[in-house]
Amino acid sequence: MKDVRRARLILAILVLTSITFIVLDLRAASGGPLQPLRSAAAAVIGPLERGVTTVVSPIGNLIDSVSQLGDQSERIAELEAENERLRVELDTLAVDVARVAELEALLGLAADTAVDIVPAQVIAVGPAQGFAWTLAIDVGSLDGIDVGMSVINGGGLLGRTVAVGPDTATVLLTVDATSTVGGRLAGSSQIGIVSGTGRQDLLTMQLLDPLAAISIGDVVVTFGSQGGRPFVPGIPIGTVESVTGTPGQLTRVANLIPYADASTVDLVGVVVAAPRTEPRGVIPAPAGE
Amino acid sequence: MILRRTLLLATLVLLAVLIEVSVLAPFPWWGATPPLGLVTVAAVAYVYGAVTGASVGFAMGLLLDLAPPAEGTIGITALVLTLFGYALGRVFGSDERPWLVTTGLTAAAGGLAVLAGAALGGLLGDPRVRWDEVPSMVVAAAVYAGVLSLVVVPFVRGISRRVVPEAFPR
Repeated sequence: MKDVRRARLILAILVLTSITFIVLDLRAASGGPLQPLRSAAAAVIGPLERGVTTVVSPIGNLIDSVSQLGDQSERIAELEAENERLRVELDTLAVDVARVAELEALLGLAADTAVDIVPAQVIAVGPAQGFAWTLAIDVGSLDGIDVGMSVINGGGLLGRTVAVGPDTATVLLTVDATSTVGGRLAGSSQIGIVSGTGRQDLLTMQLLDPLAAISIGDVVVTFGSQGGRPFVPGIPIGTVESVTGTPGQLTRVANLIPYADASTVDLVGVVVAAPRTEPRGVIPAPAGE
Repeated sequence: MILRRTLLLATLVLLAVLIEVSVLAPFPWWGATPPLGLVTVAAVAYVYGAVTGASVGFAMGLLLDLAPPAEGTIGITALVLTLFGYALGRVFGSDERPWLVTTGLTAAAGGLAVLAGAALGGLLGDPRVRWDEVPSMVVAAAVYAGVLSLVVVPFVRGISRRVVPEAFPR
């Protein structure tokens, strides 16, 4: 009898502690009294996750390459065709690029818009049961990473950093249901808000202009945030898959297929946005006339 | 004996969390990530009983809530795993049950834990919870938990006997 009472007491204490944590964490939107706990966990568990990944990733790569042997040749043919298509596209693009370069030179913009990237390896992923699309990567404040930096991979925009430890960082993916990114249609420069849906293969974009012309296959790129944080401009997000014009609603919604595949990321890049070194020049009014 | 037991359980908790987030979760599993943390809590509860089950469940849940890249509300997993650790230890405090019973119980716990987590998240207004995905998640988590328990339960039982033999008088 005494044992049962003791067990119940311990259970009650643990349950109450959990509930206290939940309440404390919910009340504080960011930071709050539990922030030191999170930081400590990141500092201690992060390096351990790193170690585990170092040991395990060669085995995973081996399994991957063996399982993909069959469709390698098909894949090569596919890529060759795509390469050809892209080459044609690139040639036509060169004209536009030249024009843009001229305009930028005219405005006295710093020509160097290239962004600096810190490469990183994914060392842990949030379990699917938690519904959150988050990754842990093996770079942190010691590598110059800060909260609110764009994270990209070969495909396009992947997400942004939301928490940073000494040598690990947490990335909130664009497809997470709480993530929003300012997006721009590459063709028409229409802007909108790209939100995650919690599904790895779908994003939605709310266009601010209800009359905006969108067609399937349009490319959406990041609009960019002030000072390039958290999002640097011009990074591809995805292509328009379908448009749901909801009558009565002030904005139209486009469904996007994200470029970056969130389910099988391994290497990512964190954009350490370089600040613009040259101030924007003033174009003087034309003299005379 | 208490020191050795605590060290053993702490090591098990840490290993389970690391393997779950760094080894299992990066693979694109169908439905859900195999809930190694929950299965380990279940195995500990079967071997050591309700009090240890609840304590290890709390520690495991808190670590899962805190380990990068966790972004959810701190305490939800801790609460769920505390309750499951207690309940599973309570249902049967002896480790002499056949594997069929432990597998069935662990699988049921795996499914229910997903449901509990989603319900708790939904109640607290987590915008991420997607109910259309929950059924497949529950099924997947139950299957994975059952399969994992075939390995984890005998492992925890065996290593406990070796490290703290005094706790298991014959």
